[in-house]
Amino acid sequence: MALRLGPLKIPWPGKKSRDNDPYWDFFINTPAADLANTVGEMIRNAPQGNVFPTRAELHTPEITSSHVKGMAEYFGAELVGIVKLNSNDGQDGDAYPYAVICAVRADYDPKTSPGIGGQVPVQNGLFITFVLSAWLRELGFRATIARDLNADKLAAAAALGTLDGNGRLVTAKYGTQVHVADVILTDLPLAADG
Amino acid sequence: MAMTLKQESKPPDASDSSNGRHATVEAEPPPYLGRSVRIVGPHVNVDMNQSPHPKNQRGELGKALFNWYRNTISKDPLTRVSAPNHFADRRNFLTTVVNRPSKGKVNPQRVSVEDPAAMTRHIKAVAQYMGADVVGIAKAHPSFLYAGSRYVQDGTAEDAYQQEAPEKLVKKFPYIIQAATAWDYNKLQAHRHHIGDSAYHVSQMKGVLVLKALEGYIKEMGYTVLRGVVTPQAAGVAGGIGELGRNGLVINKNFGARVHMPDPILTDLPLVADEPVDNGVEDFCKICRKCANTCPTNSIPFGDKVVFNGIEKYKINWLTCYKLRPYVHEHWGSCLTCAAVCPFTKPNVWWHSLAVWALRTCPIPARPALVHALKWIDDRFWGVARTSRVRWLGYDSGVKPGDQACTVAGCTASHEGKVPSGDVVGNLGYYAPLKENTNRFVKRDV
Repeated sequence: MALRLGPLKIPWPGKKSRDNDPYWDFFINTPAADLANTVGEMIRNAPQGNVFPTRAELHTPEITSSHVKGMAEYFGAELVGIVKLNSNDGQDGDAYPYAVICAVRADYDPKTSPGIGGQVPVQNGLFITFVLSAWLRELGFRATIARDLNADKLAAAAALGTLDGNGRLVTAKYGTQVHVADVILTDLPLAADG
Repeated sequence: MAMTLKQESKPPDASDSSNGRHATVEAEPPPYLGRSVRIVGPHVNVDMNQSPHPKNQRGELGKALFNWYRNTISKDPLTRVSAPNHFADRRNFLTTVVNRPSKGKVNPQRVSVEDPAAMTRHIKAVAQYMGADVVGIAKAHPSFLYAGSRYVQDGTAEDAYQQEAPEKLVKKFPYIIQAATAWDYNKLQAHRHHIGDSAYHVSQMKGVLVLKALEGYIKEMGYTVLRGVVTPQAAGVAGGIGELGRNGLVINKNFGARVHMPDPILTDLPLVADEPVDNGVEDFCKICRKCANTCPTNSIPFGDKVVFNGIEKYKINWLTCYKLRPYVHEHWGSCLTCAAVCPFTKPNVWWHSLAVWALRTCPIPARPALVHALKWIDDRFWGVARTSRVRWLGYDSGVKPGDQACTVAGCTASHEGKVPSGDVVGNLGYYAPLKENTNRFVKRDV
């Protein structure tokens, strides 16, 4: 808690306000009784929109990649990587040659924190992937969200970090405190990282 | 002027306390909303079916506006995924997915709330953790509620309490939670351009998402949530998010007018309401008039506040503001001039906080002098209108909107005969000379 001196407030080093919040544990760890109350469920079940019939004018793949990354960062992604897919990734590379991988910070691991608060990184990831893939479709290129791909593995391939023994992504900036959002597959001509 | 300072604490009728049966909510005193806006007379709750967008949807504002609203597709891909009504495919617009009435049920196992203050801190921390920039809790009052049906912009809401009168609703659901998201400051500098549109629309999508997630969380805690019931501005002013400015926008102390307040939450979760704030917006707006001067359609009054529908406030002319839109649709979606030019709209940094703190702690009679000084600084260093050129991804506000020109440094792509932009003068950027071209909108009120 900050120390209060009249109108002045000194940011005294101390406990985080969430440490003495009696409801914080409920927020992070108690799973939703009705999944329909979570935004993630609404976004996941939403149908995919159409591809815009006229393709936008594009720059070189390198510049297009930087635009895609800039857009993802504007939507809230902390790390963005692009990989070229091949048949080993469980997708035939012809339909969707590129994958865009976005990672967001996760103070709590969504895999072990089933509460609505623990799932906030997933919710942020869904926001980014939904809007970004919709934007790619509006650019006139096909884009879809693939939930069955191993996002952590592809993130490592995009040089966002390395995999640890459990197959989780470890990044230089945030360690394991990242959540890799669902992979976006697209045929927009991009330049791969890594 | 002195009149605006007093009078809000009119004592409730003596008969209220003496006779319990007589103490109807009709006689409830009007809520204190800070110095910027006051309820002074009989007030008729707003029926959102008579508000601009629904009127336009029914074609009551003429063909041009109707076509703009219903039948246009934006040229800009980002606008097509983030802006209401100018999409090519509704399914690519996240808000239509998120803003549907939630099918989730209220958790029968209620989380007990012993200390509403702790719950208030918790709800604010939760909203901020989910991405809100400002959170305010307001005590619900019947006058804040919509008359008639539920209304959510770009969405719908339904609940079991639709037939109940506002007075009954606020007894059952005494608190309003308003979570606001701030627009990106740098992108807002390129308003009247698709860059500024993106600042506006993306933060709106985010705000809608945060409020929907908060709604679900409160239901999971076992409390009921109503949506599409409360006027956002009333909730924002009553909940201390900001004060109502001359431009009709709620002005926050950290972000100025660049906050989005989507549809607030009305709930029975026990909370502690915030108070309206006084950051000197009232004193500033009385003197500044920057928004009124720069408004391309002269929709913002230069004069004093007026009493409209029993509420004393600055009254903008929404119709002229609205009528601009089809004319500029080819170039941008949202004008945002009044928000961008507002001296309170600044980056959220220490010197801005210092200036607002100085204004807030200054005694009210001494404020006009300080406001004149601050306004002079603002005009001198930030300009009387926008002067910056913004480059973002493939966009460049230095290029006339709609023109195709590559402004990416080091781009080697062939643009098939299109000329790269070499005709941008200075570092000012292209800024449509709207003020001169819109005499058809001119209707000054003084």
